[in-house]
Amino acid sequence: MSMIEFRAVSKVYPGRLVIDALSLKIEAGERVVLFGPSGCGKSTVLHLIAGLVAPESGDILINDELVAAGGRNLCELEQRGIGMVFQDLALWPHMTVSENIEFGLRARKVPDKERKKRVRDVVDLVGLGDYLNVKPGELSGGQQQRVALARALALAPRIVLMDEPLSSLDEALNIQIRKEIRRLQGELGFTLVYVTHNRDEAKDLGTRTMHLRNGRIDSAFNMGHSS
Amino acid sequence: MEKRLTLVTAAALLAVIGLLPVLAMVTSSFYISGSFSLKAYQTLLASSQQYALLLGRGVLLSLLTSALATIVGVPLGVLIGKTDLPWRGAFAVLFTLPLLIPPYLIAVAWGTVVGKGGWISQAWPSATSDLLSAAFFGLPGCTGVLFTAFMPIVMLLTITYVGAVNPRWEEAGRLVSRWPNVLRRITLPLIAPAILFAAILVFLLAFGEVGVPTYLRYPVYPVEILTQFAAFYDFGAATAAAIPMLVITLAILTLEYRLLHNSILELKPVVPGAARSQIALGSWRFLLFGIVLGWALLTVLLPLAVLLIQSASPSAYGEALLRASDSIVRSLAFAVIGATALTLLGFCCGYLVHSRAPPLWRSVDALALFLFTLPGTVIGIGLISLWNTPMTNAVYGSPAILILGYLAQYTVLPMRITSATLERVPRSLEHAARLCGASWFMSLWYIVAPLAKRGLIAAWLISYVFCLRDLGISIVVYPPGSDTLPVRILTLMANGAPSLIAALCVILIVVTLLPLGVVSLWLRHGARQS
Amino acid sequence: MKKAFWIIPVVFVALAIALWRYYSPGGAPTVVVYVSHDQVFSEPILKDFEKETGIQVRAVYDTEETKSAGAMNRLIAEKRNPQADVYWANEPIRAEVLRQQGIAAPYISPNGAGIPETFRDPNGYWTGFAARARVLIAHRGTSPKPTSMLSYTDPQWRGKTVIANPLFGTTTTQIAALFVLSGDERGRAFMQGLRDNAVKMSPSNGDSADLVARGEFAFSLVDSDDVVNRMKQHQPVEMIYPDQGANEIGCFVVPNAVVLIAGSPHPSAGEKLIDYLLTKETERRLAFSDAAQIPLHPDVAMPPYLQPIASIKVMKVNYMEIASKLQTILPFLKNWAGF
Repeated sequence: MSMIEFRAVSKVYPGRLVIDALSLKIEAGERVVLFGPSGCGKSTVLHLIAGLVAPESGDILINDELVAAGGRNLCELEQRGIGMVFQDLALWPHMTVSENIEFGLRARKVPDKERKKRVRDVVDLVGLGDYLNVKPGELSGGQQQRVALARALALAPRIVLMDEPLSSLDEALNIQIRKEIRRLQGELGFTLVYVTHNRDEAKDLGTRTMHLRNGRIDSAFNMGHSS
Repeated sequence: MEKRLTLVTAAALLAVIGLLPVLAMVTSSFYISGSFSLKAYQTLLASSQQYALLLGRGVLLSLLTSALATIVGVPLGVLIGKTDLPWRGAFAVLFTLPLLIPPYLIAVAWGTVVGKGGWISQAWPSATSDLLSAAFFGLPGCTGVLFTAFMPIVMLLTITYVGAVNPRWEEAGRLVSRWPNVLRRITLPLIAPAILFAAILVFLLAFGEVGVPTYLRYPVYPVEILTQFAAFYDFGAATAAAIPMLVITLAILTLEYRLLHNSILELKPVVPGAARSQIALGSWRFLLFGIVLGWALLTVLLPLAVLLIQSASPSAYGEALLRASDSIVRSLAFAVIGATALTLLGFCCGYLVHSRAPPLWRSVDALALFLFTLPGTVIGIGLISLWNTPMTNAVYGSPAILILGYLAQYTVLPMRITSATLERVPRSLEHAARLCGASWFMSLWYIVAPLAKRGLIAAWLISYVFCLRDLGISIVVYPPGSDTLPVRILTLMANGAPSLIAALCVILIVVTLLPLGVVSLWLRHGARQS
Repeated sequence: MKKAFWIIPVVFVALAIALWRYYSPGGAPTVVVYVSHDQVFSEPILKDFEKETGIQVRAVYDTEETKSAGAMNRLIAEKRNPQADVYWANEPIRAEVLRQQGIAAPYISPNGAGIPETFRDPNGYWTGFAARARVLIAHRGTSPKPTSMLSYTDPQWRGKTVIANPLFGTTTTQIAALFVLSGDERGRAFMQGLRDNAVKMSPSNGDSADLVARGEFAFSLVDSDDVVNRMKQHQPVEMIYPDQGANEIGCFVVPNAVVLIAGSPHPSAGEKLIDYLLTKETERRLAFSDAAQIPLHPDVAMPPYLQPIASIKVMKVNYMEIASKLQTILPFLKNWAGF
C-alpha cells in the first residue's frame, strides 16, 4: 500500500503543460526528494499532493484513498493529513510563535489543555522553547525554519511536504536544519516529500530521489543514506 | 466548496443588484401600456441630429476634462509620489478633497466667486467680470469644475503606480541620464497604461455628469435624459435616450479591457515601506512648492473658503442644524451601513478577481466598472423599475433601496482596493492555514483579513465617502421622509438663504472627513505604540 | 482577530436594527406626501400639521425643475405600487396629468368650499389653493414699462428680455394656456416671435428674476413670489400684472393643487392632510411667508404687496384643456428649446 500515488497525472497552467502524465509511488515512511531545475514542476507536484491545485487529468491517491480524479479534488486540503513547509515559510507575521503553531489545533477544536501540551511538545522537539511569545519577524532565519517545521508537525501529519525550505539559509545552517529534519522524520516516522534543486540537499535528505524534467520523471534511483 | 459558493453568490448578488435594474429599465423602454413598441426608439432616431449635437458637446466636455485632469494630475502625482516636495502628504489630502464632495457644490462655490454679482465682479471692472461670468456659465466653467472634481483620480493613480516601478530600472537609467529623462523615457512609459485608464475613468465620469452642466447651463446629453423625465414624464423615451450613452460607455470600457487591463495588472501597486527611489528637487524645490501651493489655493482652498465665509455666522449653522439635523444623522447612518455592506461585497468580489477564478472574474470586474460609470439617476430609475412592486415593498419603501443603489454603483471601489491589497498578501499564508485544517472562512478571518486590515479600512473609508456624497441615486429613490444631506441641500437651494446652503455644505464636508481623521489618528497611535 | 474589530459588525447590526424599527409600520399614524412646492415654504406647514394632528409626515421634496427627475415623475414611476398618499403640486397642470394617468383619486374636502370653481376639478381630483400670478418683473430703470405677455415680441425689446426654459414649470403651463386661448397658429407665431426678438432663455424663473434685478435684461415673465422676494431684498424691480386691459387676455394664475393618490397606503390620513392644506389659515401663512402666495379663499388676510385675487383680471382658462394641450405642444417646445 503506497502512501502517495500518482496515476498519469497532468497539470496545465495557462499556455504551459507543467506536469505531463506523471506516475509515481511513494511508500509510507520514505524520504523522497524531488530534484530538478527551476520550472520543471517540482513545486506543482507538492501542490497537487496537498490539494492546493487540482490535476487536469489522472488520479491521485493518498493512503490508497482517491483524493483527486476527473480533473477535480475529491478530498479537502484539511482532510488529507498533510503538513507543509513552504518556500517562503508562510509564517503568519501577526501571530506569535505559539499562535502560529497552535492554529491548526484550534481549527480542529482540540481542547485548550491538550492544545497547550502539544504545542509545548512540538516546540521542545524542534528546540524553540524560549520563543513562544515572540513574533516570527523577531526571529533569525534558522529559528523561523524551526517554527515552520513545528507548525507542520503540530497535527502529527502522516505526510510532510517541504518546498525548498532551506534555499535562503547559509551552508552551516542549512546542514544543521537538514540534520534536524532527518532526526524528526526518524523519530516521528512521517513520509517526507522534499523539493530542492540543490544536489547536496538531495543527497543528504533523500532515501530516494526523483529527477524531474519537463514535468516527467527523468530518472529514479535509491540513494543509500544513514540517518 | 464554501469558497466557491461564497464567491459565486457575491458575483450573483452584484449581477442582481446592479445589472438587473438596468436590464429592467431597458426592457421597459420597449413597452408602452403593456404592448411591445419601438416608438421610443423611433422618436430617438427622428431627433438624431439634435441628439448628435448634444452627444458631441458631452464628448467635447469629457475630452477637455480628461485631458486637463491628465496634464495636471500626472505631474502633480509625480511631484507628490516621487519627489521630496515639502508638505507633499498635505497636498495629497488637499487635492483629493474635491473628489469627496458632490461636484455641483464646487460649481455653487465658484459661482459665488466668478458669477455675476460675485466677489470678482465687485473687485474688478465690469467688462472683465462679465467675461468671466459668461465663460463660467458655459463650457469653460463646466470643464473647470469637473476638472477640479475629477483630477484627484489621475493624481492618486499616478502616485500609486509611480511607486510600483522597479527602482533598479530607474537606477540603471540614472547611471546614464538625469531624472527628467528617466521619468520621460522609463517611469512614465511604464505606468502609461494606468494613466490612460485614469484618463478614461475621468472621461466616463464627466460624460455621465448631470448636476454641473445643468447648473452651469451647458446642455449635454445626460441633461436630455433628465429632461425627458422632468418635462415629458416619458420613461420609455428617457431610457431609449440613455441607450447611446450606455453603448458609448460599454465600447470605451471594452477597449480599455482589451488594450490596457493586462498591462495594468502587471503593475503591482506600491508596497508601503518598500524602498523606492525619490527624486531630489534641489534648487527647483521651492519654486515647485510655490506653484503647487498656488494651485491648491486657487482650485481647492478658494472654493472651500467661499463656503466657509458665506456660512460664517452662528445663526447659519443653527438654522442648518434645525432644518437638516435629521438628514445629517440619516446620511451618516446610511453611509456607515452602505460602506459596511460595500466592504463585504467588495471584499468577496475583490477576492474573486484576485484569485482569477476563470472566466467569472473578468465579467465581475467589467460589470462593477460599468455600473460605476453609469449616471446615478439611470441606476435609480432602474431600481424603481425593478423593486417598486407590492411584493418587494419592504425593500423599496425602506432605506434598503438606497443601500442597494450604493452596492450597484460603488462596488468597484472596495473590489479594486481589496484586489490590490490581497496582491500583497502571499498566497502561501492562506494555503498554510488551509493545510492546518482551517476552513476557508477561518483562514479569511484569522489570516487574510488581519493582514489586509489597512486595505479593508481604506475600502470602508472610500465606500463611506462615496455613499455619503451620493446624489444621483439618492434623489431618485430615497424613501419619503428620509432624504440624505446632499439631497436636502439640493432641495433647500430653491429659495434657501445662501448662508444656510453654505453652512450645510460645510457640514457635509466635515461629516465626510470626520472618519478619515479619526482613522488616521487611530492608525498613527497604533503605529507609535508598536 | 483583535476584540476591537468585533465592534464594527456590532455597530452595523445595531444601526440596522435601529433604522429597521424606525421604518417599520408602528402604532403612529403616517401620511406620505410628495411636494413640488419649495421645501423652504412647505416644510413648516407640514411640520405644524404633524404637531397638531399627531400624524407623522413623510415627505419627498422637489428641487429646481432642471436639477432632478422630480417628485412628479416619481409618482408616475411608482404608479403600479403607490408610495405616496398626497401630492402637493405647485401648479394644477401636474395634478391634471395625474388625473389623466389614473394616479389621482377624487376627494372633495369641506375646506375647499369658497375656492372659486376655476381653481378646482369639478369631480374633486384636485383642489387649488394659495396661488401665484404669472407677472412681469421689470427693472426699475426700464422705460417704457411692458404691459403684456406679447411685449416679448415687441421689436423695441429685441435682445433685452429673458424667459425661463419653456420645458419646465409655470412657463410651460402659461405657454400652453396661450395656445389654448389663441389657437396653435398664433401660439407658434408667438414662440417664433420670441426667437426673432432674440429672447434669452434661462434655466428657471428665479434665474430670470435675478438677471432682471441685476439690470442685464429689461423684463421677464416670472411668478409673483419671485418678484416679491427680490423686492423684499430691496432690489430695483417692479411687479406688473400683464394683460389687464379690457380687451386683453388677463393674467395667468397658477394655484398650488393638492391631490389624493389612488391606491395610496394611508388614504384617510391623506384626506386629513388635504383638509389641513385647504384651510384659510394655511393660505394666510403662505401669503405672509416668503412664498408670497395669493389666497384663493375670500377674506384671508395678506400682506400689502400682494393683490387680492378678486382684484386681478384672471386669464379665463380650463386647466384640463391646458394639460391636454401641453402634451401635444411639448415636442414643438422641445424643438424650440434646442433639444
